[in-house]
Amino acid sequence: MAPEGSRAKVVRLSDLKGGDSATVLLVSGGRAARGRLMEMGLTPGTKITVRHTSTRHGPMEICVRSSCLALGRGIAEKIVVEVSK
Amino acid sequence: MRNMRIALAGNANVGKSTIFNALTGLSQHIGNWPGKTVEKAEGKLAFKGRSISVVDLPGVYSLKPYSQEEEVAREYVRAQKPDVVINVVDASVLERNLFLTLSLIRMGRPVVVALNMVDVAERKGAKVDAKKLSRMLGVPVVPVIATRSIGLEQLIEKAVSEADKGGKCRPLREKSTEKVYADAERIARECITLTIVRPQLEERLDSVLMHRYAGYFFLVLAAALMFFTVFSIGDWASRILSGGFSSTKAWLSGILGEGFVSFVLLEGVFEGIAAAMSVALPYLIPFAIVLAILEDSGYLARMAFLMDTFMRKIGLHGKAFIPMILGYGCSVPACISCRIMETQRERFLSAFLVTLVPCAARSVIIMGLVAAFVGPEWAAFLYLFNMLIIAVLGRIAFRALPGEPMGLIMEMPSYKIPSIGNIVKTAWLKANSFLWIALPVIIVSTVLIKLVEFVGLISPISGLLSPITVGWLGLPAIAGITLIFGVLRKELALVMLAALMGTADFGSVLTPLQMMTFAIVSMYYIPCTATIAALAKEFGWKNSLAITVFEVVFALLLAGVAACVLGAFFF
Repeated sequence: MAPEGSRAKVVRLSDLKGGDSATVLLVSGGRAARGRLMEMGLTPGTKITVRHTSTRHGPMEICVRSSCLALGRGIAEKIVVEVSK
Repeated sequence: MRNMRIALAGNANVGKSTIFNALTGLSQHIGNWPGKTVEKAEGKLAFKGRSISVVDLPGVYSLKPYSQEEEVAREYVRAQKPDVVINVVDASVLERNLFLTLSLIRMGRPVVVALNMVDVAERKGAKVDAKKLSRMLGVPVVPVIATRSIGLEQLIEKAVSEADKGGKCRPLREKSTEKVYADAERIARECITLTIVRPQLEERLDSVLMHRYAGYFFLVLAAALMFFTVFSIGDWASRILSGGFSSTKAWLSGILGEGFVSFVLLEGVFEGIAAAMSVALPYLIPFAIVLAILEDSGYLARMAFLMDTFMRKIGLHGKAFIPMILGYGCSVPACISCRIMETQRERFLSAFLVTLVPCAARSVIIMGLVAAFVGPEWAAFLYLFNMLIIAVLGRIAFRALPGEPMGLIMEMPSYKIPSIGNIVKTAWLKANSFLWIALPVIIVSTVLIKLVEFVGLISPISGLLSPITVGWLGLPAIAGITLIFGVLRKELALVMLAALMGTADFGSVLTPLQMMTFAIVSMYYIPCTATIAALAKEFGWKNSLAITVFEVVFALLLAGVAACVLGAFFF
């Protein structure tokens, strides 16, 4: 691994690819969407894995707390994560 | 003794309605997608000589009021104070489910956890220790497999004894979402033993069915397969039945002879039954079965995922595809299922589009008239053209009703082999509702129209409408009357046509162009009375009326133009 690989990489969830793992840092966006995401388990510190991605503007499927969630592109852009190595 | 009340609460799609049906013997709609139950349902259960009422609450993820369903569930538990809450939990998604469990316990009502789908969890390599879970939560936990009715007896026993104990009544203060989830995580980690299982069939299926390109190929394939299954079964059954009915009619007319009574019985009652049974029922039942398989398998949610990109172009998101697919069955439940959308604007927009989707009754007209007498490729064309219309109108409506669409957030259900029992039951319920609700309307309508014909009022009424029906659309004059009846139920438009023309062999009395025009008008011209009522209930009379008036005008314009274009180039 290159040395910079050991540094934490902070990106938006929408930037991840299928099979990637990450930890949720922050959920932004409107009150309703944020509330819904939090109650479905996307609280800061939660580990997630990306199960499927689709086209560039399409939705993605992630695993969080043993459940599978489909998230639209706009929603995934509002979730900031730290990529796990 | 006072009547005991049990409430069933839990996340969406964990099997609450399955348990409810098993306990009460009722038939709440079940399927494998989150959000089916939108209103609480109530049923009765007799247990050891006591009468218990059971309430099936809509699925929720928390008790914070982010949505209508959460409001319903929370208010019920808080204000109605059920004697005991059975919290149905999906063992294969334990951690996420425990969030609601912990919130429920804090509401202060006695709680019993029904640990459902333990079989699914084990297949996924997770074994849940129910005893330990019960100890850590401080409430009884009963493992069950709802689909096979395993453990339900013990569940009720436990719930009743908890209710008898009464117990805590003071709600605790709410904790923050993060804190509750931290507890859920800790409890789930302690109670689950994980084993490594080899990559599952589910993963492999999804990598094909949800693939960014191949997924769409299979989506189209599935739709085509559904279309041809319904058409071939329906066409085959329709031919056999109409043959049977016409020979029976010949035999009956020999017995009954001539006269007014014989006319009413034979041309009204019998012809109504014959047309309903041979024209409508053969397509309705296969349709119901195909939709039930789709709902039960878990593929419906995958379709919603795949369609998200398209739905966003019309101001909605993938989940709106679910009501639209249900709309191919019946517009009424489809309009109500629009409640799975998050905002009122999205609900209204999707309900409007749902009314444009050809429901099974309209499919009866497309299949029984166009596919059978013009050609299946023309029927397929009508369905595809309909999708285009929906996309265009959706886009326009999106412009007219501006607002930032909320993005897709949807739990993906596991695949399931559709249960034969559920499919048979769905078909049975469909047949039953057709026989007891639709058939009487059809018979009364046929008798009525035959009486109108008997007293010679057909031509004055058709004459009144003929500038539109004959002049603009190029249809036979009597089509006007049948279209009026179609407002009651869409299939009546075709059934009445058969009754008035005295034959179900439409090819001999209508030109292909007339059949196409008639089908197009019937597809769009007005939502049926039941749908208008459902729209009014969900969105108010003003909105319901606006949709109705729009569709009448739109259908007449579209069909007239279509008649010109099709007539000039194809027929």
